[in-house]
Amino acid sequence: MSEAGALRTFVVEALAGLGATISEGGSLVWVRAPDSVQRDLEVPANFALAFEPEQSGAFDAELVAPGSYFLERLVAVTTARGRWDASRFEPSEADWVSAVWSDSGFGSESGVRPRVLAIEDGILLLFGFRLTLISDEKRESFHLIAVSPVDGSAWAVLPDPEDSRLVPDAPIDFHPDLEAAYRLANEAVRDETRAEVDRFRSRSLGLLEEEVRRIFAYFDNTLAGIREADPEGSQDLLRAVMAERDRRLAEAVERFDPKATASLCSVRAVFAPTARVRLEFQGGAIADIHVDAWSRRIRGLVCEICHGTEGPWSFEAKSEPRCGRCAATREESAPPRGHPRSGTPRRGTKAGRSAVRSPRGSTARSRAASGGDRGP
Amino acid sequence: MSLPPREPPLSADASLSLRFDDADRNLLARAFRTPSDGPLAWRLNGEGHRISLVDGFDRLLAWPSLRGVARYEHQERTVFRILREMHGRGILADEVGLGKTIEAGLVLKEYAIRGLVRRALILTPAALTGQWREEMAEKFSLPFAVLHSVRDWDRRPLLIASMDTAKREPHRRAAQSRPWDLVVVDEAHRLKNRLSLNWQFVAGLSKKYMLLLTATPVQNDMDELFNLVSLLTPGQLHTYDRFLERYVASADRRVPTHVSELRGRLRDVMVRNRRGIAFTLPPRRVHSLAVRLSAAERHLYDDVTQFVRDAYWSSSGRLPWTARLTLTVLQREIGSSTFAVAETLRRLAQSPLFGPDDRDRLDGLRQDAVAIASNVKASRLRTFLESLNEKVLIFTQYRRTLEYLRGVLEADGHRVAAYHGGLSPVAKDEAVRTFQAGADVFLSTEAGGEGRNLQFARTVVNYDLPWNPLRIEQRIGRVHRLGQEREVHVVNVWAEDTVEAYLIELLDRKIHMFELVVGELDLILGNLEARRPFEDLMMDIWVLRQAEERRTALRRLGESLVRARGQYEQVKERNDAVLGDVSEAVPT
Repeated sequence: MSEAGALRTFVVEALAGLGATISEGGSLVWVRAPDSVQRDLEVPANFALAFEPEQSGAFDAELVAPGSYFLERLVAVTTARGRWDASRFEPSEADWVSAVWSDSGFGSESGVRPRVLAIEDGILLLFGFRLTLISDEKRESFHLIAVSPVDGSAWAVLPDPEDSRLVPDAPIDFHPDLEAAYRLANEAVRDETRAEVDRFRSRSLGLLEEEVRRIFAYFDNTLAGIREADPEGSQDLLRAVMAERDRRLAEAVERFDPKATASLCSVRAVFAPTARVRLEFQGGAIADIHVDAWSRRIRGLVCEICHGTEGPWSFEAKSEPRCGRCAATREESAPPRGHPRSGTPRRGTKAGRSAVRSPRGSTARSRAASGGDRGP
Repeated sequence: MSLPPREPPLSADASLSLRFDDADRNLLARAFRTPSDGPLAWRLNGEGHRISLVDGFDRLLAWPSLRGVARYEHQERTVFRILREMHGRGILADEVGLGKTIEAGLVLKEYAIRGLVRRALILTPAALTGQWREEMAEKFSLPFAVLHSVRDWDRRPLLIASMDTAKREPHRRAAQSRPWDLVVVDEAHRLKNRLSLNWQFVAGLSKKYMLLLTATPVQNDMDELFNLVSLLTPGQLHTYDRFLERYVASADRRVPTHVSELRGRLRDVMVRNRRGIAFTLPPRRVHSLAVRLSAAERHLYDDVTQFVRDAYWSSSGRLPWTARLTLTVLQREIGSSTFAVAETLRRLAQSPLFGPDDRDRLDGLRQDAVAIASNVKASRLRTFLESLNEKVLIFTQYRRTLEYLRGVLEADGHRVAAYHGGLSPVAKDEAVRTFQAGADVFLSTEAGGEGRNLQFARTVVNYDLPWNPLRIEQRIGRVHRLGQEREVHVVNVWAEDTVEAYLIELLDRKIHMFELVVGELDLILGNLEARRPFEDLMMDIWVLRQAEERRTALRRLGESLVRARGQYEQVKERNDAVLGDVSEAVPT
């Protein structure tokens, strides 16, 4: 769908969602607005919307485009609603666990034997964050983080606005510990955006440094010139030049000083069948993991090389699991650069404790298992 | 050094910490305590956020919301350079007529959409404040207010102020004590002198981004260029002493040296689109349709003129401003048509501005005007249109003249699209569409399609001549603009022995105004020694009682205009010599 088409679809859906009656007539959209919409969007009871400036003159149609007042109002109203939701996922396949195994690298050739210990009703919490980076420019991105309160893992998921597999479900007396899950999501956002934020920081500070150097060079040389020309000269002049220098420095800071903020947009609880599984490796090691039917993410495995938690997984004879990327590079000396690490079990969580255990039950030499030290 | 009380810019180079919004706690406390708005609302929440995300300046977001702004590559390229390479501080030094105002508006709008500019100040010459306000409102939907009182500095986040007002107390202090996200200075060559109030005022403003607009950064000597650039990015051209040593060749500081290196430094802070590089406009051809008024029209014209002169000089004291304006209107209307002047004569015949004798005289004039059924100028226009086989724009200043012409032309079988200030926006759109689709005549008052694309026509008829030459230029600019590919014809209809004949003498014969590029005239008039509106200068001459006095005054004004044009040409050449290809080597 074109960008203009997507905008039109959003506007029509959002207005309908607010209770307005919509009728599309050629290039214009006609809206009959209830009182609440009239008040919130500052519009009359009946009005037209145009998506091209040339059409906005006809019937006094309100222009909808980036930067238009109407769109700003509509986005503000829309994002003030729908900030939490609870939904349920019922898998269509009876044997969804087997399907997850083969997708994740646990086929019969892997030599890993999974044993389903139990299938329970699990919960995931999805946190939507808007990341905003500002200096002389503004960069924004949207991040959706899934948190499993059970095992304490958190990872980024791709936003799927059309997730029609979910059905509304609002259990009575559902009061999850959002604070703890939020903290995990918070850390996952930091991990997820670290590279982006660092790049932005380097760019902005580089520009600031260049600007500050130029300002100092100019004013210091100017001051030196004034002093040299007239050593007994007016102190007022020197002070004026210094004041101007300070003003320019303040302007440079105002322009290039980087700022990074994330704001929580929404929370969603997803109820989905979750399997507790024991994996038995060829070498005799075992690991207890969780996997849910909705995200299908294997939670509880840690790559022995990079300590990442992203599948798919690879298993060599008698070795512990490796993520696909480490297996492909066979690089054992250091974790690959820029490798995703979000979702790594945190110190003290159940997942951290149960990551991979030797057959004798002692904790394996895993950094993840021993705490949050996740390599350079 | 004393920096403002905030985090130091280069503090230990620690990594930028991602701060989480305090409002998050509020959401966490409320979520799942009350019923949700449903899954659709949850999805639309995410959609709303995603649809409003911005990602740097990867593309321009403003275009879809602009009205009546054609999309030109050189303007888009310029805006990208200001946003991406100059980080919001640059000199827009396009040659006249290439759309510096549009470029500045685009930069402003892009910042505003991203929430990076919330407080903006536009500083202009006093005469241009209204024009800026209109352009920002109509084309960019940016509700700027023109400064009227010192309280406006607090109340108006988007403000237009005349430089002359803003730089003086109490405005100066008020302007400088507030932070501005963006400051735009139009006619920025007025900042050429570092010691001037203008320069000191702008330097003292606290601003994040700044745009300086001027077609002629160098008016006289190289110092001016240094002062302008230093205001924007001090050090870009070294210190003043080093600048003189390196880039100025002559003692009088007019001749540059190491020009290539200098231009290289200027490219970092200046965009200069030139006609030959950005585009070339086709030439203009000027045609004169001079007419001799009929005996009745001549009689009426001379009587109205005599009344104006008598009223102008008969006042016991200084003529009130309103009376002076009324007389000017009367004289301008009789230059347009007898139909235009008749209604004003009727009104004035009942006005307390004039005594009983004058009112009787005015009523007599009204009767004479009403008795004239047709105008010679219209007959001449009809003959001209018979010889023309293409669409034509006909401009008049007055609605009554427009209605008269509409009747005459429609009777001749022309399809006329009438456009005037009394039409609703929808009717205006319809008039433009009718002209584009089938009508052969676009008959318009001064409101004639400002900002609309009428370049599919190429002939402009000035049925009457506004005394303000910039108005004439705006009319021509409706078709002689970016996008016009054919030679443009300007046809002036005027009567002998009238004010309009004086205008033709001055503007056409003396300075060849009709062949100038849009924007140049403004700069020429700005060089006139007499710092008064051109209309007033015309009226001053016309009301002189003796013909010889009028001829002498007209000759002096003509000489003054010729000097102003020469001065403009010199400045233009100087800028080309110094700045030359400042933009040519810029990769796009």
